[in-house]
Amino acid sequence: MRNAHYTESIFGPMKQNKTELARPETGNTGLLPDLFDALFAEHWPQVYRAVLRLVGDPAEAEDLALETFFRLYQHNPANGAEFNFGGWLYRVAINLGLHSIRSFKRREHYELTAGKDALEDTPENRPAEIMARDEERSAARSILASMPTRQAELLIMRYSGASYKEIAVALDVSPASIGPYLLRAEREFEKRYRALLREEL
Amino acid sequence: MNTHLNDGQLRAALDNELPARERQHLENCAKCQQQQEAVRTQTQRIANRLEFLSVETQQNQPPVRAAIRSFYDRKLPQKENNMFKKLFASSGFRLVAVATLLLALVVSIPSTRALADQLLSLFRVQQVTVIPVDFTGMQQLSGNQTLSKQISTLISSSTSVTQKSGEPVDAKDAADASQKAGFAVRLPDGTAPTSISVLNRTAFNFKIDRTKAQALLNEAGRSDLLLPAAIDGAVVDVNVPASVSTAFGTCPKPSPEDKGPDMRGSMGRNYPDCILLTQIPSPVVKTPAGVDIAQLAQIGFEFSGMTSEQAAAFVKTVDWTSTLVVPIPRNAATYEQISVDGVTGTLIQRPADDAPQYALIWVKDGIIYAISGLGADTQTAIQMANSLH
Repeated sequence: MRNAHYTESIFGPMKQNKTELARPETGNTGLLPDLFDALFAEHWPQVYRAVLRLVGDPAEAEDLALETFFRLYQHNPANGAEFNFGGWLYRVAINLGLHSIRSFKRREHYELTAGKDALEDTPENRPAEIMARDEERSAARSILASMPTRQAELLIMRYSGASYKEIAVALDVSPASIGPYLLRAEREFEKRYRALLREEL
Repeated sequence: MNTHLNDGQLRAALDNELPARERQHLENCAKCQQQQEAVRTQTQRIANRLEFLSVETQQNQPPVRAAIRSFYDRKLPQKENNMFKKLFASSGFRLVAVATLLLALVVSIPSTRALADQLLSLFRVQQVTVIPVDFTGMQQLSGNQTLSKQISTLISSSTSVTQKSGEPVDAKDAADASQKAGFAVRLPDGTAPTSISVLNRTAFNFKIDRTKAQALLNEAGRSDLLLPAAIDGAVVDVNVPASVSTAFGTCPKPSPEDKGPDMRGSMGRNYPDCILLTQIPSPVVKTPAGVDIAQLAQIGFEFSGMTSEQAAAFVKTVDWTSTLVVPIPRNAATYEQISVDGVTGTLIQRPADDAPQYALIWVKDGIIYAISGLGADTQTAIQMANSLH
């Protein structure tokens, strides 16, 4: 079931950056400015892509990706000489994406966008299967956002292509526990999906 | 291995993440293989529903270079502006901000006099120093409603207003304003004001509860900042004299609150030609002798995001006997010193997200002057300042 689209880690390059724990001359990042810029350059593509796939909106994705790096700028999460910044950034990005989907404003935006799309893309010029696919994605995003955060994180990481080892590091659990956790999260997702379908019927 | 695999292990097997021993069991166990088919069916269904999480988008992603520019040029200033606005939107914070600002003005007077009345008095402000502060360091306050509420409660329960300014009153000219405000009000040559308002003096005091204040610092994640024991129970008296606000162009009505009229956002866009000249004699702050203002200022600067070394270095550069310290958002504002009205003034500019703003501040003969407006035409403000009489 490993996703075939990925040949490299979704967390970006897997080398763990050595952190300089000294404070910079300016700012409150806790990281030296050069290190922050280097981390930004190294992880931006993965962070942006991850959040874009999750929320589906390029402008929102860019803002959330920038917000992710702002969290890093604001507070150095490194708690040792070596730290997996890629995993940390990825997790922050996912949570910001989930929060965005959850928020009322975001829902409103989805609804407005959906309404606009419906007006612009009438059934005549928009294939039914694309409309159905968009609806399914929208439902799946809503369900992810409604689930317990840890379960949602797990599903997103796994179905984005992360290995059990990568997920275990990011969520601070043992790799052997991922299978059972994943199964529980999938069952929860399915339960909620079916409930949503029943509501719509 | 004789024990059958559980569903979790069967799920891991679908991802080829099962240890060799269990994998071997699965290969030889028909019952487990049958059960795995049920797990596989559900997993395949979920995989189809979440397939969008792994599909590469056709959208062009912003290049790293452009993204990092957006971060520094847009995101960071936006965050600082938001933080700045949030901090100063709270009435409790404004009161404390004023008090903190004024505390920074406290003068070390000769010890004999301090001993005489056990109070330190504030002398006249003679200069202004701008300190760029990264307000994003105080972000933890905006995201924590409980903490914000606790701070508001502590402030309101510790503060006692002894003199309310009331509503501003109109004055018909400089002489009338001088008579109402109690000091010589100056106006620029050649420009007729649209209104002159006088706001009466304000006075309040607050009693410092060190235990509660320290608990809030701890709650905000800054237990490394220790408030000195000497401040516990200290009563700080703040006396803000009457001020005069003169409007040129179309301006909003002056507010009785200490922040002045709100010219931000859409409101600001409604008053594009508004220029406000504010003048106020130096406020007076009295604190008990044991309170070390420089030490408190250092804690405040550290809380805002400065390192201990940066804060200590800055505190040393300030002449706390005569300096008004104005914090500005580091990434969202610029400042420069200029000659104005025969003294050195400070021009602060904020290229804000909605409309640029400027403020020109200087001190002359014990009176603090400020000219503020929207847009980038600071020359008008400088000319106005130089023609005051």
